[in-house]
Amino acid sequence: MPQVYNWQLGRTMEYPYEERHPKSQFAFVFNTNRCIACQTCTMACKSTWTFGKGQEAMWWNNVETKPYGGYPQFWDIKALKLLDDAHQKAGATMGWETGKPGPSKPYGEYSGMTLFEAARQRYGPEGHQRVLGYLPTDEEWRFPNIYEDTSTAYQGGRLGISAEGASLPEHKSWFFYLQRLCNHCTYPACLAACPRKAIYKRPEDGIVLIDQERCRGYRACVEACPYKKPMYRPTTRVSEKCVACYPRIEGTDPLSEGVPMETRCMASCVGKIRMQGLVKTNPDGSWVEDRQHPLYYMVKIEKVALPLYPQFGTEPNGYYIPPRWVPRPYLRQMFGPGVDEAIDKYTAPSRELLAVMQLFRTTQKMLSRYEITQGPKVYETTVNGKPWAMYNDTVIGYDARGREAVRVTVEEPVHVRPAQYANSI
Amino acid sequence: MRARLSAAVLSALVLWASGAEAQAPLTAVRVAGAGPIVEPTASVWKQSRPVKVAMLPQTVTPPQKPDTAIKELTVRAVHNGGWVAFLIEWKDPTLSNRIVLDNFGDQVAVQLPLDPKGAVPSPMMGNAGGRVNIMQWRAAFQNDIEVGPPTVQGLYPNAWADVYPDELMSAADARPYTGALGLENPISRGVATAVLDQMAEGWGSMTVKPDQHALGRGTWRDGVWRVVITRPMVSDDVNAPRLLPGDRTVAGFAVWEGGNREVGARKAWAPWVPLVIGR
Ligand code: SF4
Ligand code: SF4
Repeated sequence: MPQVYNWQLGRTMEYPYEERHPKSQFAFVFNTNRCIACQTCTMACKSTWTFGKGQEAMWWNNVETKPYGGYPQFWDIKALKLLDDAHQKAGATMGWETGKPGPSKPYGEYSGMTLFEAARQRYGPEGHQRVLGYLPTDEEWRFPNIYEDTSTAYQGGRLGISAEGASLPEHKSWFFYLQRLCNHCTYPACLAACPRKAIYKRPEDGIVLIDQERCRGYRACVEACPYKKPMYRPTTRVSEKCVACYPRIEGTDPLSEGVPMETRCMASCVGKIRMQGLVKTNPDGSWVEDRQHPLYYMVKIEKVALPLYPQFGTEPNGYYIPPRWVPRPYLRQMFGPGVDEAIDKYTAPSRELLAVMQLFRTTQKMLSRYEITQGPKVYETTVNGKPWAMYNDTVIGYDARGREAVRVTVEEPVHVRPAQYANSI
Repeated sequence: MRARLSAAVLSALVLWASGAEAQAPLTAVRVAGAGPIVEPTASVWKQSRPVKVAMLPQTVTPPQKPDTAIKELTVRAVHNGGWVAFLIEWKDPTLSNRIVLDNFGDQVAVQLPLDPKGAVPSPMMGNAGGRVNIMQWRAAFQNDIEVGPPTVQGLYPNAWADVYPDELMSAADARPYTGALGLENPISRGVATAVLDQMAEGWGSMTVKPDQHALGRGTWRDGVWRVVITRPMVSDDVNAPRLLPGDRTVAGFAVWEGGNREVGARKAWAPWVPLVIGR
């Protein structure tokens, strides 16, 4: 089986096809700390792509409450269990060697098996699979927001109320929102599993699509994708998945003036947690150094945003700023060994990071570059015992053609409503 | 893993070889009449000697399912000079003709080499240059034709939606929302017949033919499927076999028990069975 390089794992891994990478790659950064679970993103997607007959149970974008929520139910627990069982059977452990990180291995090296590698360990009733996976039951897809706002149990204290329950770095009872869509993976499990080669990754932007004419509804992709983002449509008898709003990415939306626009779920985000773009990739799949690209900066330089379940091995292209208050072992399982550094960076953001984060949801256009003009110091405090200062810098975002698309300051302008209009609408 | 895979290939081949030795030939006896032979209950089938075909799990290419449910088919063949037909019967206690997210439909297929006189292609859906004609009957298509196409209300009686695209837009604008149906994906619906006329040159190459000539019908009663698949013996279709009285060729079979989550490569198959077209 061909060996491919997965930089999120810091090593080569087995994949059914040889490496071939797109010119640029659809990617996104989500700040889980800010999501309010309003589901505006979910509805923006639904009302754009999936309100046809037979798509009722389909939510290409969904936001679930962790740790209990999941669409389909317990998708990640089930994938992790399959992976864990495979490790136990092989007498292996799912670990990371974090000793020697470098540009090609920013989180160190994963020493366990990926879902592709673990599939070769199993010859159970499901038979040989290219990817270790499972097909969720019909029922598991039916409650997309089950366990919404359900926290882990309160610990200690009378009436179940814990006096010290809500202090950082770890809340004793906790939940958080996880925003999910197809990760348009570098090594898609869906594509690897399709026996008909009906799934393809676009060479121009890395978007992964299911050919609706070629698909035969075997559901090998539904079974294989650990994130469970391909979905079956019973009225057409084939599977469908997130199309990354490709007309917007191509800049063919009439609103976009010919430059790439962010997808509907990104552009509609009320909590301003989402930023999406295209990162340039080298022929070997690494990201072209692009210091002033906001996604490159957050993922590669600042390393504040991390891949979701990198150990699955698909090299997902969605990156998450982890929630600060959640127990670290849980987060390390979900986002890999970069969690502690990412939370430290986010908790006391550098001057540059703070400015870049102001760009979230200030324009529908995809930003390809940013510049910062320095402003005055406006605030000083200590964070985790260390001095921290805030500067009112101005950050300017540029579109794909290099035109200024947005200009914002760290401090939001304040308007005081004159007294005579205090009660007017 | 390599050792395990080759063991699987080897056992499949050994079974194939031993199966081929034991396999009685199937004779398509000449019967009276003209036109397609599609009825599983037609009296012509009494004239044909049934042949038992042992079915093996497909364990060579992933995805696999080593525990396929159907172990044997009973096959009869007849022809009337214009059409050749196969009656395939098997026990299946679960009727699977409505497909939702986590279940699959019952199916059966007959495979014929495109060139009955040339080198015999691989029994596993042919090989490059060794094209086969695969006629696949689907229980879901049979249901589409007899009962009607699947609807959300039919599959999920309590489902409710406030609005659908075709209630808001013109049919042309709503078409993108019909997905594969709007692209006329041939597996979305059984339209005229429950049989898809296809061709292949190996795994992953199955293609629905531009010319659809195969016909058929299946009935499920008392836990038994009786399915007829028929095709013209001679046609101007370059992707169809040409079968004449007296010809000797081979036929292959595959069957899927939807209730056992069999679909695609997860199937039971039989290597080539000698097929004689009676004079
Ligand atoms: S998230 Fe799933 S569906 Fe999307 S590209 Fe990755 S494997 Fe495929
Ligand atoms: S729109 Fe934004 S804030 Fe609202 S649920 Fe979606 S990701 Fe969270």
